[in-house]
Amino acid sequence: MRRVAVIGVGVTKFGKHDRTSAELFAEAAADALADAELPASAVQALYYGNVVGGETEKQLHTGPQAASVLGIPTVPTTRFETACASSHAAFRHAVMDIASGTSEVVLVGGAERVLNVTTEESTEYFAYASDARWEQTLGLTFPGVFALVARAHMARYGTTEAQMAAVAVKNHKHGTLNPKAQFQKEITLEQVLRSAMVADPLKLYDCCPFTDGGAALVLVSEEVARKARRPIWVLASAAASDWMLISDKRDLSRVPATERAAAAAYRQAGLGPTDVDVVELHDCFTIAEIVATEGLGLFEPGAGGVAAEKGWTSLGGKIPVNPSGGLKAKGHPIGATGAAQIAEVVTQLRGAADRRQVDGAKIGLTHTLGGNTATVLVSLFGRD
Amino acid sequence: MTEPVITQRHFFEKAREGQLTAMRCGHCGELSVPPKTFCPTCSQRRWEPIGLSGEGTIASYTIIRVAPRAHAAEVPYAIAAVHMNEGVSLLGRVVDVPLERLTVGLPVRFRPLVSGGQTAVGFGPA
Repeated sequence: MRRVAVIGVGVTKFGKHDRTSAELFAEAAADALADAELPASAVQALYYGNVVGGETEKQLHTGPQAASVLGIPTVPTTRFETACASSHAAFRHAVMDIASGTSEVVLVGGAERVLNVTTEESTEYFAYASDARWEQTLGLTFPGVFALVARAHMARYGTTEAQMAAVAVKNHKHGTLNPKAQFQKEITLEQVLRSAMVADPLKLYDCCPFTDGGAALVLVSEEVARKARRPIWVLASAAASDWMLISDKRDLSRVPATERAAAAAYRQAGLGPTDVDVVELHDCFTIAEIVATEGLGLFEPGAGGVAAEKGWTSLGGKIPVNPSGGLKAKGHPIGATGAAQIAEVVTQLRGAADRRQVDGAKIGLTHTLGGNTATVLVSLFGRD
Repeated sequence: MTEPVITQRHFFEKAREGQLTAMRCGHCGELSVPPKTFCPTCSQRRWEPIGLSGEGTIASYTIIRVAPRAHAAEVPYAIAAVHMNEGVSLLGRVVDVPLERLTVGLPVRFRPLVSGGQTAVGFGPA
């Protein structure tokens, strides 16, 4: 298998936009190609993440639409949908495409538009990623899914609402250092704990926002990468799944798909959790960050809450998690999120993350979770 | 073509009558609900339907206060993952239990919830 590198990244401002998701992706893709110093004509395939386009934009077939809006209508395109992990799944397949020798230059990314509909509508559309007959009929929401995880984690390990709130405070603080972030404002523990209940015990500030935005990456073979200014190497990209239904998961305090994807990624790269310098992980809810830090092996099961509270995951801490602000503060345009996390880690490994730079970062990890914890992708990156 | 032992539709028809149905693997004894084609433990296809008592305890729960459009008028409502006494779990609405009394480990009993001709899994006080 050939080595694969990321040589270009682009991310739109996250927040509310009045442009279509295809236009948002095209902006990110143009930035990524400029960063890679490659013309659009060099792209040989587009792997694209988009989740609720069918609902919020009445738009399917978003792969070729995005390619057309970008102006590369003839490249093969595929739209990936693994709920919130869509563009990370697209990334993994692009890596395999190049590693196998099929393509030299592949554009990867995604975009989402949801702030053009009401919160009730988007809550419904996001819930489509849980089972229609067994779960949606009960009125289960995504905050509800992670509230079940939170209660189980609290009951098993004694994790507290204040520890979860510490994740939100930390990620908002990081977000103030990211000019692309949806929220660039610090919040206090009190504000989190006093915010309105969404799905007990998760409060408004435990939840990431609805977000419009796009992200893009240029992936190339080693041969092309050697001519690039600052390639960042893909050391591993692994996917894992788990039962779709909440009721089939034996232990709600854990996310086994994270543990399996992480084990596979570490094995591919010949690395372990202690080798990682910077992490962008899927903090769709504060408890999700706590459970992910445990599943990735950064902390023992049950220690994720303590780690957040003690600042071990803050910039300057033992292992900085979500220096971008994470989904919580940077925002979560679901189809773009996996690619945006990778863009942040690439920026960190280039040493180009300005005020949010993790000093001397050599190895980076991204973790993206799909919907009800049934999909997880983990990738590892390194610099020359 | 082998007919499935129990389909999703059968499960909810029986549930509407007040009876929860699981499947036991005739090869390894694995218990499962809802229906699956192959046993996830031994990959055999030798399911036999068995009735569940309907009794269990709350493994985790939440109170939904921001709901999808179809359920917006019902907030606040409780959803729990319930560990059934036989060893399988089911997700359901908790009804007739004051929200402040909900706790992990609380015993509950199955009851069908029928709305608009559709049956959903519910749990009430044990």
